[in-house]
Amino acid sequence: MARKFGVSRRHFLIGAGAATAVGLGAAPAAIGQQTRELHVWHTEVEPQTVKTIQDTSIAEFEKKFPGFKVRQQALGWGDLNTKLLASLAAGNPPDLTHLNPFMTASLYTKQLLRPMDELIRALGESDIHEATLKLQYFEGKYYGVTHAMGATYFAERRDLREKKGIKPPETYDDMLKLCAALTEGGRYAFQMPGEKLYMGFVHPAEWLAGNGGSWVDPKTWRPNLNSKPMLEALDYAQKLNKFQPQGWAGQKYLDTLAALANGKIAMAHLSGARTIGYIERYAPEGTRDPEHFMPLLRPHGPGGKVGISALDGENWAVFTQSKYPNEAFEFLRLFYKKEHYMAYCHTVPIHLTPIFKSMINDPAYLANERIKKWRPWHDVMVNGLKQNRFLPIGFSRPDDNLLPFLAELDGSGIVADMVVEVMVGGKNPKVEADRAQKRAEELLGQLGAKRWS
Amino acid sequence: MRRSALTGWLLLTPSLLLLGGLVVFPILYNVWLSLFNKHAFLPVQQFVGLGHYRYFSTDPEFWASFRHGVVYAGATMVLQIGVGVPAALLLNEAFRGRNLLRGIVLFPYMIPTIVAVILWKWLLNDSYGLVNHLLTTARLSDHAIPWLGPDYIMTSLIVTSVWQFFPFVVVTYLARLQTIPPELYEAATVDGASAWRRFVHVTLPQTASVLFVIVLLRSIWMFTKFDTVWLLAGEGGVSKYVRTLPVYAYARSFTYLQAGMGAALAVIMFVMLLVATAIYFQAFRGEETFA
Repeated sequence: MARKFGVSRRHFLIGAGAATAVGLGAAPAAIGQQTRELHVWHTEVEPQTVKTIQDTSIAEFEKKFPGFKVRQQALGWGDLNTKLLASLAAGNPPDLTHLNPFMTASLYTKQLLRPMDELIRALGESDIHEATLKLQYFEGKYYGVTHAMGATYFAERRDLREKKGIKPPETYDDMLKLCAALTEGGRYAFQMPGEKLYMGFVHPAEWLAGNGGSWVDPKTWRPNLNSKPMLEALDYAQKLNKFQPQGWAGQKYLDTLAALANGKIAMAHLSGARTIGYIERYAPEGTRDPEHFMPLLRPHGPGGKVGISALDGENWAVFTQSKYPNEAFEFLRLFYKKEHYMAYCHTVPIHLTPIFKSMINDPAYLANERIKKWRPWHDVMVNGLKQNRFLPIGFSRPDDNLLPFLAELDGSGIVADMVVEVMVGGKNPKVEADRAQKRAEELLGQLGAKRWS
Repeated sequence: MRRSALTGWLLLTPSLLLLGGLVVFPILYNVWLSLFNKHAFLPVQQFVGLGHYRYFSTDPEFWASFRHGVVYAGATMVLQIGVGVPAALLLNEAFRGRNLLRGIVLFPYMIPTIVAVILWKWLLNDSYGLVNHLLTTARLSDHAIPWLGPDYIMTSLIVTSVWQFFPFVVVTYLARLQTIPPELYEAATVDGASAWRRFVHVTLPQTASVLFVIVLLRSIWMFTKFDTVWLLAGEGGVSKYVRTLPVYAYARSFTYLQAGMGAALAVIMFVMLLVATAIYFQAFRGEETFA
């Protein structure tokens, strides 16, 4: 058959050879100009936050270090943990990353983190808020610095509560009474998120902390899942369950915010200042203000004196395996440079509350429009910090930062299984707590963390 | 002769090396790993021999996961065939719009699992889902049913999986139906056989071999199915009610961070499937050969 528009084999080979020669000829120059990449992973996924980091810290870093290119990756919590595990297993972690405080101890004990005392001193050790300063402090050295603080709490329909003439609840009993009053006309009082991380780790830690309990015995590390504080908390949770929609365990955090915005519930159990953006977009006109929506801190149990809420605040960490550790620390200095850092905190106001005490009350920081409008939410945050109402996510007491197995306890789903059986299944709290205790003891034994006999 | 044999082996060597590296080595490595107490991402390990296997033999979570896996694989396999075979029979008939319908039936199998699961989670949501809306509008229910809650999550998982995977049965069965000689049906019709008798005495025997393969493949695939189960309920509080062995193996490896235990679970599943397949072949050998 006659070939009309084809290329002969000879011409093809000549062309391919010439292209290869040109490519190879150009290669040495390209190799000579190769830029080094600083890999930075973090958990702030909002587009405006990513852009601000790019336009401030990264832009200045790349100007200061011309041979470097910063690659930032914004990942959700779950994605970050999975990706980090894979990168550590491959021996190729990012140069700089966010970590959840409950994972830091685990990585520290495996000697995977670099100390950063020099950086902390340069940033102003005494100016960093006490709520975060020593979360990554092991054996006299700092191994992390929190990027920003954001408290979690109930987001309530304040107007509905006030119509009932009920004060913000202080105790478990107060909360149950409030829930009973708010459940009416097809509306439920509240809804808890169904994700395992929250209902099976973050909230049980708050229950323990607010009821004088702890995950484990501080000395022996024997789990306390069937201790009196946990049993009281489970009893409370079981009673609470009848005031929330039946299918909550299969729904997610954002579903609860949708239910709050459309009036199906009066309180979202898990909320933070990020909820403001949600309220401003989806709540009915005329209700998008602090008169209608307010944070509500956690109540305490019979064994506790004050309710404790989780503080969302990952820390920056530099791995021992990081390729460019010095540059990673240099990047952090630029990240915390006042004008860069304030711009960063303003990308999600109040949710990204500065770690520097001087900046929290800085008029320039408070001049942000959203902070001005939602000032009562900022005040809840500031007062909560003053009154020690916050603990890092998953912590039942401040010293939990020394436990090297919290990530594994969370991942195992042992606590989540117990909570869902008690709350949704209506099972006996003692029986389920004993079962969870046995599983947790086995797990800690398998992890080599058993210190009791 | 000896020289040609050598040439043959030399030609086979690349393939054997590839197979060994990509199939045999990971299996052997997994077996080796299962004998260690190995952290998921750190070079920390301790030889425990058959310790993990002994642990799982009395682990309630393991047996609950096994039960869930059997229920899930069994129910979805039966329903896929129950829906897929009649659909294939229908699509084998001549009618207007048949080709369009054949394309539509394939749709669930073509879309990514993540899309299918998100779609079903949206449909079944008890706050804003379409299914509850239709049920309450039609007065079939006076309240929103928590399809994604503990009581219904297994049902929802089965429905989602059957919807997504029955097209495989349709396509495979239809392909075999199209190769049955029409003379067989003509002869049966001449002999006065009804539609049902034609199905029982002509179609079924002719398609037994393909049904044999469908049951085998779908059972294995559903028993080892991970993505649909994980995406629907894996990270939620309800995961306990649908936790199958692959999900438990994943959890042991990547959330408990116990890679050795995860490997042991994978080995157990592998052995279970080998044994089940051998029994299946033994039991249905006769049926397989007559087609």
